[in-house]
Amino acid sequence: MSGPDAIGEGNNKTRDAVLTAVAAVVFAAALWLASSNLDGYKLRIINLIAINAILGLSLNLIYGMTGMFSLGHAGFMAIGAYVSALLILSPEQKTTMWILEPIAPWLLNVRAPFVVSLAAAGLAAAFFGWLVALPVLRLGGDYLGIATLGFSEIIRILITNLTPITNGSLGLKGIPAHTDIRMSYGCLAVVLFCMVRLMRSNFGNVLRAVRDDEIAARTMGIDTFRTRVLAFTLGCFGGGLGGALMGNLITTIDPKMFMITQTYSLLMIVVVGGLGSITGSIVGAVVVTTMLEWLRFVENPVTIGGVNIPGIPGMRMVIFSLLLIVVIIFRREGIMGMREFSWSRLFRGGSGGGGRR
Amino acid sequence: MRKLLPALLICLLAAGGAFAADDVVKIGFFNCLTGQNAFGGQLELEGAQLALSEIPEVLGKKIELVVVDNKSDKTEAANAVARLIERDKVNAVIGTYGSALAMAGGEVAEAAKIPVMGTSCTNPLVTQNKRYYFRACFIDPFQGSGAAAYAYKTLNFKKAALLVDVANDYSVGLGSFFKQSFEKLGGEIVSEMKYNSGDQDFTAQLTEIISKNPDIVFLPAYFAEGAIVLKQAKELGATFRFMGGDAMDNPEIVTLGGDAVEGFLHTTFAYDPSMKDMNPVAQKFTENWKAKYPDKEPNVNAALGYDAFILVIDAIKRAGSAEPEKIRDALEATKDVPTVTGLTTLNETHDAEKELGIVEIRDGKKQFIGTITP
Repeated sequence: MSGPDAIGEGNNKTRDAVLTAVAAVVFAAALWLASSNLDGYKLRIINLIAINAILGLSLNLIYGMTGMFSLGHAGFMAIGAYVSALLILSPEQKTTMWILEPIAPWLLNVRAPFVVSLAAAGLAAAFFGWLVALPVLRLGGDYLGIATLGFSEIIRILITNLTPITNGSLGLKGIPAHTDIRMSYGCLAVVLFCMVRLMRSNFGNVLRAVRDDEIAARTMGIDTFRTRVLAFTLGCFGGGLGGALMGNLITTIDPKMFMITQTYSLLMIVVVGGLGSITGSIVGAVVVTTMLEWLRFVENPVTIGGVNIPGIPGMRMVIFSLLLIVVIIFRREGIMGMREFSWSRLFRGGSGGGGRR
Repeated sequence: MRKLLPALLICLLAAGGAFAADDVVKIGFFNCLTGQNAFGGQLELEGAQLALSEIPEVLGKKIELVVVDNKSDKTEAANAVARLIERDKVNAVIGTYGSALAMAGGEVAEAAKIPVMGTSCTNPLVTQNKRYYFRACFIDPFQGSGAAAYAYKTLNFKKAALLVDVANDYSVGLGSFFKQSFEKLGGEIVSEMKYNSGDQDFTAQLTEIISKNPDIVFLPAYFAEGAIVLKQAKELGATFRFMGGDAMDNPEIVTLGGDAVEGFLHTTFAYDPSMKDMNPVAQKFTENWKAKYPDKEPNVNAALGYDAFILVIDAIKRAGSAEPEKIRDALEATKDVPTVTGLTTLNETHDAEKELGIVEIRDGKKQFIGTITP
């Protein structure tokens, strides 16, 4: 586990800060090079990694760091995606798209720039997260999972039926493709910075205390309910932000995108990476996103020694699931476990290196 | 050895890439081969593959069909089209079942300026304001008004009810266009009920509809739910008729619904293996299909997969070039091309204009009644 390093000397701190800054610059340069040299397909995957990392981090804050088993992330993504899309679309686009029922008049002329819409998306999701948290977070464990799952379904059904506002099941299309490398990694950097600072602060310790033993934490005078509500709301902000970025990457959204399977795939990223590890969520996002695309080659028809084997669709999902099973059998705590990447571990030649920060 | 294996794999992949030559026309194919819409996507793929085996070459070059699965998922659909265009460098793309997936993929193709031929994505929004997206199918408003005209004029029904799947864009769209046309013709919609995809119990909605005593109920459902609705309506003693859209066009419906589907009507594309006076293309398609897939009945999805392929190849021939921009221009000029589902003309919104077929289930079998042109 990381946290404030009690024995860390001043020397090491400056060294680490410099190394972090250098790594950030190198990484930014690599991204800049990538965005001008790689093709659209690869850039799309790189973009998706950032979005999945944001979503994974925000779910990890709720589940991994604070120990609240939430299955509602897809619902908060939906709120973010819709808020952002409705703010970006032009009035002309809106009138042509609402073919079943006319759009609500107050919504027609509401517009905001992309960055503002991202903030609004996060805030809207956080607000709904807070509303849900008040009654629901009195539950714990599996009950909380079921309650949040129900809430995410309610959001989806509301979106399906509020046709004048959301265009119902027809969904929205033609959202300008604002999510580029700069945007998605800019957001990821901000989210990452906030997460690292948060987890190193005393509040991070409070969160861990609540997760590890709620009764003990309460005995020590921690208002556990307030702590959990705060963590949940922050996590929902990330969910809304990620949803908005996702909508602007795919350029079209509809309620079916935000089914429970969306939450499962985020959960997969968090669990494979390591519950409670910031580095883990990022490693998880990289591994899951790239593997799913990279494994496509197993579905192609192959000719080996004159024998033609036709491609079997769905094969990559089989192999991917096998890989997941292997990870869970041999590393039950995920790739990173609860460890974090740190420079000193890297120099000591410890086993925890590999991620980036 | 452990280190050798990845190296070996990379060599194999590289070797595979090296064989790709210039004298090949690459057609990308993205569709739902897995996931919830897999039954439709698979049939469309088999239809396209049948067409490929009949037309293996165009302009003296070999045609290669590059198939990518979109898992019935929007993010994957966008990735799949990006992969076809950037990595496989296809000249044109065919796909997909499911309008939401077509919209996600269409945006990528639009940016890359590669023409796409949709198979069975019938939502009007798919081709709206798109320069590069076309489709081999007609659109929901067309089918909705055709069904309304048939119910009102031919069957002389004046009172209709709707039972619509609110979670399904196809169902909502088709239902709403049926309602508009039916009311315009002078008919009355006596009841509008809703359900959600995956529901199993429709007795509440059906009881309400029965109390309003309509002549016909329009049911724009997918066949899985549609069959259950028909079963439960029979159990409740409903006497009115039911009518559905092309998504009910699946051989499974009789298996699922048993004798409850007797007398069920649905609109569809102008093709069915039970058709009496088939056009020559449809005849050839049916014969070749039965030879290639003897244990499978062809249906409209298979026919549309086949048609989409034919339309793209036709455009390449007329363009005299496999350049994406020229294929696009030729596609725009598509007029009266003979396809399985009738003569196909692509109109100014890039949607196919073709006849609408009417099918009725009689004696546990699909019977093609005839075609109408709304």
